[in-house]
Amino acid sequence: MTAQALPAARPVVSKPAWRDWVESPLFLKAAAGAIMLLLWEGVVRALAPAYVARPSGIARVFTAVISDQQFLAAAGATLSAVIMGLLVSLVLGTLVGFAMGRINMMERGLRYYVNSLFATPMIAILPLVTLWFGYSADARFAIVVFAAFFSVTINACDGARSVPMEYLEVAHSFRARPLHTLFDIIFPSSLPYLLAGVRLAAGRALIGAVVAEFFVSIPGLGYFILYNSRTFKHNEAFVAVIVLVAVGVSFEVLVNWLTRRYLPWARRN
Amino acid sequence: MGSETRWARYGTVVVSLLAGAAVWEVSGHFTTEAFWAPLSATVRSLAGFAGSGVLLRQAADSFQLYLSGLALAILVGAPLGMLLARVRWLRVALENYITMLYATPMVALIPFILSMMGFGFAPKVLVVFLFAVFPVLYNTVEGARSIRPELIEVAHSFRSNEWRLWCDVMIPYTLPFMMTGVRQAIARGLVGMVAAEFFLSPSGLGQMIMMGSQNFDTAGMLAAILIIVLLGVGLMDLGRFLENRFAAWRGYNR
Repeated sequence: MTAQALPAARPVVSKPAWRDWVESPLFLKAAAGAIMLLLWEGVVRALAPAYVARPSGIARVFTAVISDQQFLAAAGATLSAVIMGLLVSLVLGTLVGFAMGRINMMERGLRYYVNSLFATPMIAILPLVTLWFGYSADARFAIVVFAAFFSVTINACDGARSVPMEYLEVAHSFRARPLHTLFDIIFPSSLPYLLAGVRLAAGRALIGAVVAEFFVSIPGLGYFILYNSRTFKHNEAFVAVIVLVAVGVSFEVLVNWLTRRYLPWARRN
Repeated sequence: MGSETRWARYGTVVVSLLAGAAVWEVSGHFTTEAFWAPLSATVRSLAGFAGSGVLLRQAADSFQLYLSGLALAILVGAPLGMLLARVRWLRVALENYITMLYATPMVALIPFILSMMGFGFAPKVLVVFLFAVFPVLYNTVEGARSIRPELIEVAHSFRSNEWRLWCDVMIPYTLPFMMTGVRQAIARGLVGMVAAEFFLSPSGLGQMIMMGSQNFDTAGMLAAILIIVLLGVGLMDLGRFLENRFAAWRGYNR
């Protein structure tokens, strides 16, 4: 060891106030957002044709589009199809999933069908569904249900299987009737799984609805995007994308909040 | 389960598969050809595709697209996610946007991609990439968020340099989380592949489904759908295998 000077201890200097401010999470997030928007704006202005969507253009048309009757009708059509489809698949999926989770016979009989249809991209059966339901809103509804049903079922099945054995034994020793066991034990104890299933299902349902609208050309946000982007009104079309993102994100936030607020005992696997 | 014999367990599975096949076959004979086709016709159609080499060609087309998009997504998503794991301020700045894009239905961007990039291989790869990249990124960042600062501090106390820190701490720690992302990306990428083949230039297995539906060749369409179902099942199993293979490390650090 030669005379190698140790690095001097860092002088303790209190950070200037602006450093604190710059390093606050809120500032970082806002700055990142602003930089991304500026980049988008700059790149599109420099390289892309005039019709391509850019933040300033979207901001210009945003209020006009969002208050347009036709747009609101389209958004309402898509969202109600998604929500109705989710409700239907929540009820049916929970029933089938619980049956599979509690009855071995059902589980072995249906497992392969449910698992493989869960793994199938539901877009692939879109042409088949249009054969069955025609080029109508029914086809969209069917795709939404198909997309959502299997993730609810799989999660309901997992939930019903994960009910602690002791609970069921206690219920059994008190001679609880099957219906009571179902509603008072199996259902509450699989709620976290159901919520996880619904969260997964919601994303799939939204994709299903948009794709069905592309394919079937029925009024909705997907068709609004398709129509406007074909007529080179990208800014207008992008407003619909923003609405879709907002719906997707708020669903995610809602389910997370519900889980934290009402099911704090649920451990994440 | 223990009280049941193995015979009963496998028996019910076989019975259920046979019953499914029977229902498919019988229902096919009672509906019009445009609606639904019996299993036998579907299998015959599948054999026809396989014999003429159409199936192999189209499947290879689809796979080329799928693998390009998925590989690109992992190559971009994983290193970027780990970089965010290391650089805290960058992660704080970007994580909400990544969550947002993770929840975005990417199909909605297909019409834009179509009118800006037209028909070709590149826009389709972009679609698969967009479907697949955010699960990888999101999960890697989730892993990064839970990385224990002690681990990095210990590495620093032992004067570990940046390179060793990455090799010994960052990559091993985030890998299991990244694999969860890869599993999701494998599934989402397949959806992206079919969507790209439907709505951008038709090709591959998606084109086979489309052609079947346009020519009222329901058996041909079902054959192509069956291939996609099998592909989905196989890929999901692969994803689960990858996730479980690397999940062993995860419990260790908890």
